[in-house]
Amino acid sequence: MPQGPLLDRQFLEKLERLTIHWQKSFNGLVGGHNNSRFAGGGQEFLDHRHFHHGDDLRAVNWRAYLRLEKMFLKMFQVEPRVPVRMLIDTSESMNSEGGFKFSYARKLAAALCYVGLVRLDTIAIRPFAARLGEGMACGGGRHRFSPVMDYLSALELGGRTNYLEVVRQFISTHQQRGLLIIISDFLDDAGCERPLQYLADFGHELLLMQVWSEEDRTPPWLGDLDLVDAETEARLQLQFDEAARDAYTRSFDKYRNSLQQLALRNGGRYVGVSAAMPIEDIVFGSLVRSRVIA
Amino acid sequence: MYFLNLSLLQFLALAGALTIPTVLLYLLGRSRRKQVVATLRFWVAADQPAVVQRRKKIQQPLSLILQLVSMLLLLLAIAQLRLGTPLATPRDHVLILDTSAWMAAGSGRNSHRTLMDEARDKAGAYVKALPASDRLMLVRADGLATPATSFESDRAKLERAIAQSVPNATALNMEQALAFAQHEQVLSPNRTGEIAYIGPGRIAADTGAAAPPKNLRVLAVPDSVENCGLRKIAVRRSGTDPDVWDIYASVRNYGTVPRAVTLSITFGGGPAGARKLNVPPGSEREVTFACRTRAAGLLEATLSPHDAFPADDHAVLELPAEPELALTVYSNEPEVLRPIVTALPRVRATFLPVAEYRPDKNGSLVILDRFRPPERPMGNAIWIQPPADASPIPVRETLEGVPFDHWCSGSPLCTGLHTKDLRLASTYVFEGAPDDIKIGQVANGPVIVARPGQNKVVVFGFQPALSDLRYELATPLLFGNILRWMAPELFRRSSAAASSAGIVTMQLDTDVRPEDVTVQQQDGTPLPFTTRGQTMRFFSGTPGTVRVQSGDGETVYSLTLPELWDAKWEAPAGVRRGLPGFRAATVLSRDLWELLALLGGLGLLAEWLLYGRSEGRIRRLGARLAVLRPGIRKAS
Repeated sequence: MPQGPLLDRQFLEKLERLTIHWQKSFNGLVGGHNNSRFAGGGQEFLDHRHFHHGDDLRAVNWRAYLRLEKMFLKMFQVEPRVPVRMLIDTSESMNSEGGFKFSYARKLAAALCYVGLVRLDTIAIRPFAARLGEGMACGGGRHRFSPVMDYLSALELGGRTNYLEVVRQFISTHQQRGLLIIISDFLDDAGCERPLQYLADFGHELLLMQVWSEEDRTPPWLGDLDLVDAETEARLQLQFDEAARDAYTRSFDKYRNSLQQLALRNGGRYVGVSAAMPIEDIVFGSLVRSRVIA
Repeated sequence: MYFLNLSLLQFLALAGALTIPTVLLYLLGRSRRKQVVATLRFWVAADQPAVVQRRKKIQQPLSLILQLVSMLLLLLAIAQLRLGTPLATPRDHVLILDTSAWMAAGSGRNSHRTLMDEARDKAGAYVKALPASDRLMLVRADGLATPATSFESDRAKLERAIAQSVPNATALNMEQALAFAQHEQVLSPNRTGEIAYIGPGRIAADTGAAAPPKNLRVLAVPDSVENCGLRKIAVRRSGTDPDVWDIYASVRNYGTVPRAVTLSITFGGGPAGARKLNVPPGSEREVTFACRTRAAGLLEATLSPHDAFPADDHAVLELPAEPELALTVYSNEPEVLRPIVTALPRVRATFLPVAEYRPDKNGSLVILDRFRPPERPMGNAIWIQPPADASPIPVRETLEGVPFDHWCSGSPLCTGLHTKDLRLASTYVFEGAPDDIKIGQVANGPVIVARPGQNKVVVFGFQPALSDLRYELATPLLFGNILRWMAPELFRRSSAAASSAGIVTMQLDTDVRPEDVTVQQQDGTPLPFTTRGQTMRFFSGTPGTVRVQSGDGETVYSLTLPELWDAKWEAPAGVRRGLPGFRAATVLSRDLWELLALLGGLGLLAEWLLYGRSEGRIRRLGARLAVLRPGIRKAS
């Protein structure tokens, strides 16, 4: 586990100009990401209007009344309240290359949390493997980022991925629709396409961030191999050569494409992240291009 | 069948060191590698066959066998496996041909042939006796062991080198020659042949240090030791009369019977002395002569009658002329200075009146007695009480009736000077520079000053021959010191010696420091030398003249006498003697390393073609066949 901070200060300063974006409008929620033209409950002052009967007396501008003897009502900008949730995979399969893949996923999660905190968004983080773990809600500004880093740093790997169970728990726990960011390798022997489809059908906007290490996509080993599944401990003995490696990579890419199709088909987005790339390139490259953040 | 380059033990060690890692690497390369992966779903999709072989079974054994056999073949090639016997192996021999000075002696059997001719014949016979495949190095041995050829199989080149071998001026150093030969053979240990020595075995000194090598062969050249010759001649100026040369000569009888010889000395072609000597066998006689001359010339010493080795019957020495210092005294009162100047040996003084003063363009030494020269002298000069405004060293003041205070110390100019209650009637006191040597001083300052430089100057503030100083012993001593300081080469003690080339040992005077010693050859090039205590040694391998300068003495060595032997080297009983019979024992042997190297290379190439380059192809073929087998087998 890394001992230092997940993200350094220079990188965090660069993140401050970014904002998390979503595309869908969610039933029962006011606003989207952009500032609303309508007045309502909020903290940012928008305008004055004449007082009408039934208006909230707390919004009356009493100073103006004392001077003009007319009642004016202060109107405030409606603030978006779309919930942002983040699921981070802590299954054993994330332990590739000595935990480097999981460390990379944590950094990615921390970067997105910081972007959300800077824009006063509230993000609920939930780890998962076979089931959903205890989460953390982060919000209230950038000065609340330190607990987020502590929380992410304290996450531990373990368990076998069970997307179906996780999705069932998530839907039953979080009834309100919103943006759902899933940072995972999406490697579940039972398959994760169907549970993800459930989430999309329920009304969540999916942002799938698939993290893989180089050995996940292009295994460096050749010859006689005795393979052990990190989660199930299933074994497979085979001879592996260059041609087989090509076939392996093709199969992996095919799976990536299927995840991407699933996300796009349901109005969501997909970002494939190789842990070999610098995290700055991913944030300001892939995530910006796919309009996850801007 | 045998190995040329390696012993059997070395071969087995190398074979083990090669085969064990190969087998281990082979097994490691074909062992199954356990690997934890994130998922197996894509591996299954890679469509690879499950492995059905058991792990403990060696796969592709032919590949392993082919590799091992090929490597062994290559190792055999490196070890140079040969068919035949080791005796048939080409070998490297070293032939030590004695070229010491004694080899110029007559053989005794034929008056026209020398020992060198006999040795050359034996060397030629030895070369002819060698197998054609053997190589030979010719080493000429005298005081130094000098290789004349490298290990050479070209017989014509060897015979030319043997024919060009001639006696040198030094005695044989057998120990060094054998050590050199052994060292050369160590460089090719598997081809070690013989070390053959050809010569009479007369050595400079029997140190008896090391046992001769086991592969030594001696081809003795018989010699007759009946020889009587000059051992050394030395000449030096007589201590009592500088015009006389004392000559010391040493004659040695190397033979077994007493010899009656006559030693004649001639100088410049004229007889200078002769002496009859009866020299007992194995001993030396020393005789002395005296030769009066101041001139230079050649001193020759001749021993008669001549014997079988005439090279040490005659010696020539070059005697240098006695040096003289030309001194011109300009004085209107020459009688005042004459007793002082003429008392000095090796000084040729000319007295001239002051009016005839001319600056000498040759820069010879002048004495200027109380006058102002129109031009300054161009060489060294002694100024005696010059006019105050013409003094080369500024005059500070003039004093009268002043007591002389003291002489300087620590300078060669002041060696031995001593006076008591000396009073100067009238004298200058000089304003000396810091580098000036203040020879004599009164209480107010220096009155006799020496100024070193390119032209050395000594200035007297008073006329010593007209003062009370003329009664003192210090006066001639002071002038002697001044002349010695101005012309040191004039007072250099010279001697000459004729001795043999080789190591020359000389005893230095006790006051001579080693850094003051120079040794030069005839052409002026310096010769290396060593000093230990007051003993100085240098080596000259060739005849010639060597000049040794130490302190104020010079010795000229005419190294014209040959260095003869002091002892006879006797080969131990086990040493082989006479010409070898190589050809009879020679059986043809055959090299196999080319064939072995070719087979080894072909084996490795075949292994690579069958199992290395096409490994992927073979495996893909196996994969296609495995389609018929059950699918992936999971252990859990």
